[in-house]
Amino acid sequence: MSARGHTRRELLGAGAAGAAALVAFPAAALADTTTTSDAPLTETERLQRLIQLELLGLYCYRYVLGSSILGRAAHQRLAPFVAHEQAHIAALEARLKARGGTVPSGPDSVKAANDDLGHRGIGGRLGQLQGERDALYLLLTLEQVTIGAYFVALINLNDKELVTLVCQIMANEAQHDAMIGLSLPKGTPQSAVPYGLVQGLQ
Amino acid sequence: MVADRDRASRRALLTGAGTALAGGALALAGCGSVATGKKAVKQTSMPVRQTDVKILSQALALERRTVSAYIATIPLLSRPRRKAFRQFLNEELEHTGELASLINAAGGKAGPRADSYPIGHPTDAASAIAGLHSLEALQISRYLELIPRLSPGPVRAAVASILTVDAQHLSMVRVLQGQDPVPGPFVTGSA
Repeated sequence: MSARGHTRRELLGAGAAGAAALVAFPAAALADTTTTSDAPLTETERLQRLIQLELLGLYCYRYVLGSSILGRAAHQRLAPFVAHEQAHIAALEARLKARGGTVPSGPDSVKAANDDLGHRGIGGRLGQLQGERDALYLLLTLEQVTIGAYFVALINLNDKELVTLVCQIMANEAQHDAMIGLSLPKGTPQSAVPYGLVQGLQ
Repeated sequence: MVADRDRASRRALLTGAGTALAGGALALAGCGSVATGKKAVKQTSMPVRQTDVKILSQALALERRTVSAYIATIPLLSRPRRKAFRQFLNEELEHTGELASLINAAGGKAGPRADSYPIGHPTDAASAIAGLHSLEALQISRYLELIPRLSPGPVRAAVASILTVDAQHLSMVRVLQGQDPVPGPFVTGSA
């Protein structure tokens, strides 16, 4: 088993509070794509949830890249992802506005981001990361949760243009996931792409 | 059954380590996606299933072509690269098995493999990897055309869980080629 696989097990164990729930609970619980009622989300609501998750990802990338926690190689590799997340948000916002939806706001502080991470069961907290490894695992888990949210969205969306966009973004998040995996200690191409089917953390 | 043939080929081709890895992946990766997709497609009307069978069959043909390319490429690679690409081959074979499984669930039958596939005649690692780059990109662009035409949603999602891995393969191939592994925010398969 790859080093990355081993550490995923660690993440899903006692070391990451709530992470075990990622597998056991329905995808929507993690991806925050459900409501408290049983009513299915409208496309507008689903877009809002996806944007909120992307905004959290953007905040975390900016925080990690803005600190000195990453080594040069990892920093160089991950730096372009900020622009990618911004582009995802812009594309989703355009679809949301076209449907008359209100654009949600993202976290405006480390505390708000950490609360959101905790709400989604993601281990690791901004401001408490002990080194590159911690930062990479936080971003890795966040990417996997994001992939899971897009996977759930695909099950429920019917608009073909939106389905295509979601596929394009989900595949891009999967590429981010692989590149973070490659940046981990002892990361290799095979440990960075360990699964034949990827639907994210659910 | 074609799915059985695909699985037999996988057993023949792969090392025990690769198989163990694939097994280990089931807990976290997409093992549930195809099962959900199969269940959902069985509940759709016959015309929808017939359309899905046609679309999934196109995807299966592409995946099989890519499998052939990986098989031709691996002997040309250095040992460390061979290990990674053997795993990617394993994953492509998994895709063929899952697509065949979805076709069967939709009431169709996966067609036989072609005797050969147009994969060029690579003579060195660089040209072979370039060929894989083209095929992975082609698969991605075709999936982006095909997935919106599939229904119901769980089938789209199941096939998208294959697309995501092909996008990851493309990134790794780009790394080996010294190219930007994630050249843009939207995966299009255009390059």
